[in-house]
Amino acid sequence: MSTTFKKRNILLWLLAISFITPIITLFFLSFSKNWRFPAILPQQFTFENWSYLFFSGGNIAPSFLISLVIALSVALFATLLGFITSKYIAYHKYRKKLLMLTYFPFALSPVIFALCLKYYFIKMSLTGNVQGIILAQLIIAFPYSVIFFTGFWNQRIKQYEDLVSTLGGTTSYAFRKIVMPIAKSLILVCFFQCFLISWFEFGLTSIIGYGKVETLTIKVYQFITEANIFYAALSCCLLILPPVILLWFNKKFIIQQAK
Amino acid sequence: MFLQINHIQKKYKDKLVIQDVSFGLEAHQTLSILGKSGCGKSTLLKIIAGIEEQNKGDVFLNEKNISNINSNERNIVYLFQEPLLFPNLNVFENIAFGLRIRKLASADVEQKVEQMLESLELKDHDKKMPHQISGGQKQRVAFGRALIINPPLILLDEPFSSLDVETRATMQQLYKTIAKKFNITALFVTHDLKEALLMGDKISYMDKGLLEIFDSKKDFIEADKTGVKSEIEFWNNL
Repeated sequence: MSTTFKKRNILLWLLAISFITPIITLFFLSFSKNWRFPAILPQQFTFENWSYLFFSGGNIAPSFLISLVIALSVALFATLLGFITSKYIAYHKYRKKLLMLTYFPFALSPVIFALCLKYYFIKMSLTGNVQGIILAQLIIAFPYSVIFFTGFWNQRIKQYEDLVSTLGGTTSYAFRKIVMPIAKSLILVCFFQCFLISWFEFGLTSIIGYGKVETLTIKVYQFITEANIFYAALSCCLLILPPVILLWFNKKFIIQQAK
Repeated sequence: MFLQINHIQKKYKDKLVIQDVSFGLEAHQTLSILGKSGCGKSTLLKIIAGIEEQNKGDVFLNEKNISNINSNERNIVYLFQEPLLFPNLNVFENIAFGLRIRKLASADVEQKVEQMLESLELKDHDKKMPHQISGGQKQRVAFGRALIINPPLILLDEPFSSLDVETRATMQQLYKTIAKKFNITALFVTHDLKEALLMGDKISYMDKGLLEIFDSKKDFIEADKTGVKSEIEFWNNL
């Protein structure tokens, strides 16, 4: 085994450990109780935290479900709308100007952006409910999706569409049979990214949600401000679960398919 | 005339790409269009195919004005510089694509594609994906995909420009054979002098948005602007 190979292996292991250690610590904390300084280990290992939060009024399960519904809706709408909109922008004569507009939500911080929008959300009765949060998060995720897909609509894709047309196919036929299959991997990656944007979103959600919609991220902050590290760790475990599943799905299906 | 083009004009912003182009082409003939890059030859083909819109003029096919008909209803196939095989479909499905659009029965599709694969000497490659075949084979698949729907007119936009010299010569020969076998009517755009002479039953020269069709190959060779004389001179003085 060469020295370079050994060094690379060590580096990879160090990287893996640095990624995995915080996750293990979180799980460890979520099963702990009464861990006071200077004790090296907690005094008690228990399922109590998990059972309390899920079954005895901790309300984690509804938060988990609300977060999942919001993130899946945002990811679905942002990806689909972004894919279609980006096509029109990419082939539009004012392409550059329209693309500039899509960067606008990112020029401000999400919290400031949410404050700017709050008035309109109140007027439309969209504060403090799930629909309002989905819409607010879409304002960030949708432009992201548009920017993500703009590069896809290049000259080659246009030529494929033109070719299908001269072979007798309609625009929708070209879309279904050629464009969508070519874009499949990108669509899944964008869905994954938009899901993550929504899943970890805090600023917009707390301002537009008025604290009435308790997503998992909001819960984590609540536990942290209550200085309850065990419940906070437990919520964090739940917070990282869907992204980990999506990452696994991404690796298993998309990357393998690309190979 | 089978194909009749009347006073086509095309502008991009203020730039006149095609000034005023009119010509006719008989059925089962190939017209070579020679011209430098940017002279408007690709734009002319795209207008005839219906994937670009002209500012003025009309296109008649078999005495029917097709100027306002969508490209997917014109039944004119445009072959790009690159073969543009659909990367998600194998060779068989790429060739069958036009037949699937026309919703032919599976047995008919299979039979027609098998025949086409046979004619193009691609029988052993039907299950392969586009990235698994060579440049020449890709171009043959592109031909097969166009020919199988039996279009009245095929537009070829420098189809062999990305091929090496040897494969290009083979493909030129193959095109001649296919054109004869399938009675193809085609416009063949090229910037290669030799290719224009080899491929066309008639030859034309396009420059600054204007097209001139030569009555004979002799006239084409003798015209100064085509560059044939200077080419011959170059080889004689070598």
